[in-house]
Amino acid sequence: MEDIAIVAFAQTPCYRKYDDSEPSMIMGLVNQIVEEVEIDRHQIDFTIAGSCDYLTGRAFAFIANVDGYGAWPPVYESHVEMDGAWALFEAFVRLQMGDIGSALIVSSGKSSPGTPREIFPLQTDPYLGAPLGLDPVSAAGLQARALLDSGKATERDFAEVVSRSRRDGLSNPNAQVGKDVPVEDLLKEPYYASPLRKHDLPPISDGASAVLIARGQRARELCEKPVWIRGIDHRIESHHLGLRDLTDSPSSRIAARSLGLDAGSLDVAELCARYSPEEIVLRQALELGDGTRINPSGGPLCGHPVMASGLTRVVEVARRIRGGEAGRGLGHATSGPALQQNLLCILEGDA
Amino acid sequence: MSEFPISFTLEYPYTRTLGPVIGPFLTALRDGCILGIRCGNRVLCPPIEFDPDTGETLSPDLVEVGPAGSVESWTWIAEPSRKHPFQEPFAFALVKLDGADTAMTHAVKAAGPEAMSTGMRVRAQFREERAGAITDVYFVPEGDARDQSIAPGEGEVEISTHLISLTYNDTLYPHAARYAQGLLDGKFIGQRISGDQVAIPGKGYDALARVMLTEADDVELAPTGTVLSYTVITPVKYRGQKETEPYLSATIILDGAGQSLVQQDIRNIPLDELRVGMRLRAIFKPAAERKVDDVDNDWMYPSIGDVVERWEPTGEPDVPLDGLPESM
Repeated sequence: MEDIAIVAFAQTPCYRKYDDSEPSMIMGLVNQIVEEVEIDRHQIDFTIAGSCDYLTGRAFAFIANVDGYGAWPPVYESHVEMDGAWALFEAFVRLQMGDIGSALIVSSGKSSPGTPREIFPLQTDPYLGAPLGLDPVSAAGLQARALLDSGKATERDFAEVVSRSRRDGLSNPNAQVGKDVPVEDLLKEPYYASPLRKHDLPPISDGASAVLIARGQRARELCEKPVWIRGIDHRIESHHLGLRDLTDSPSSRIAARSLGLDAGSLDVAELCARYSPEEIVLRQALELGDGTRINPSGGPLCGHPVMASGLTRVVEVARRIRGGEAGRGLGHATSGPALQQNLLCILEGDA
Repeated sequence: MSEFPISFTLEYPYTRTLGPVIGPFLTALRDGCILGIRCGNRVLCPPIEFDPDTGETLSPDLVEVGPAGSVESWTWIAEPSRKHPFQEPFAFALVKLDGADTAMTHAVKAAGPEAMSTGMRVRAQFREERAGAITDVYFVPEGDARDQSIAPGEGEVEISTHLISLTYNDTLYPHAARYAQGLLDGKFIGQRISGDQVAIPGKGYDALARVMLTEADDVELAPTGTVLSYTVITPVKYRGQKETEPYLSATIILDGAGQSLVQQDIRNIPLDELRVGMRLRAIFKPAAERKVDDVDNDWMYPSIGDVVERWEPTGEPDVPLDGLPESM
């Protein structure tokens, strides 16, 4: 397998409502990356984006987004109707073919015009799930209750995740929500989708992120401190909640095993835990210990630009490795209700 | 600058065939019973077409389960969404029906969260109006259940219909708001982009140069232009059709614009008098009658709103065909 590294990355802040277009949100990031690595836009061999037209309700919004990543004269490009982390996966696989050297990955989402709780049932089974309006919050509530009943977590554990994440959000300039709230105060809040309280849910966000990756020598030409992708894998579970063990994440565990993940070696993990119980499920499934700092950015609980939220986890890890805060880290992305599909990306700096 | 709120509803009416397993399952629901499917030693409910462990196709060996079962997990929905089966607070639950080995996600109508617990017994209740859909049924705590006598429907349920209907609320982006305000003021406001072109409406950025544009890049265009193309629309009858007589729809490029205005209705020029190259002037409606309700953020379907009373010939000579302006 050829060494592939992240050579540049960028992200927007998480906005409750970004007042301009999705392409304009993307354009700034792409310009920032191109300027940083000092290359012409057309020296990037492949471009791939992850976004979802349903968020803004615009048919072919993903085509409009092409303006944002700069495609004239035409570029070689692709798109996934998934979080940008899956676009990163496709780009990584594409670069393995060896004929091209670099790829730009862009992810973006504007959830502000729509009602996510009404949109996301559409990603469930269209015969038995979507007609019930089975939304991600409700699925997370079922997962939370299953965790409590299994003895694998308590409501206090959920609140501790929230308290720590929201406190970390205070020092993240891109976070939408940051607060210093003690666990006891959180536990006094009313239930929203019991046993979840509103603070166990992510905010509704607009935002985007982007990364530039390159193969071995090209990566060293483009930057001083490449952040190497040591492995990337993703796995999926059944679309029927009743066929899954909601207290576990076997798909994450299988991905970790296939990557040979040594959880003890991770200095940092950015988990796309959209609901506080998801962090607990992932920590247990991936066997993350005290030596691994979890979601120093505050994670999705402090800003959740759907479609960009997963790739942003990869960006957050890359930033810490490049900044010298971490040597090795894990970026996680997820899709579907209650952690149905999970992607793991192991990143490492030069020794 | 005033804010321009926009709102629209996106609808996709889906019609799906149900196949050999979901079809009988939904037919049975319509007729007041719940089916699972045999998969090895297990019974899966809701039934699926494939063995979840191996992916092997399951023969449609369906067995009746329920109508009572146990709650394996639940969440109390304090504020239901418009898409939920109940508009008052209810529980979503994983219900393992008697005779089944897997749980079905469904709604439980109960007095309150205190009436819910893991392991509690619930029972299916069927709605009065049933369509052969998952929403034909719901669950209640066993003590609340009433006996029902369900008359079977006719024929097999083979098709499901599902109307996706989503409402979006936004505001016009800053450049689009200036464009809309211009139309209300009786002006065409475009944006200057690369190659000394003017885009109308603008996008708020220059896609070629990859830079954001500002109000300083706005350009007012004269209300005069040239016909680039046209067609005669002959109305056909359909539900909601209001047109009865043939009319003209023209593509017009304003002087100085790099991009044409498409589908401009022409009602005041006889059908056989409009020509490609003809010079036209937009006569705006009185200010009080101008509307920009259909001006949108989506530049793929640009509108000039309802502000132009008519396009009238300027009387200038036609632009020769080989001298027509270029259009993006």
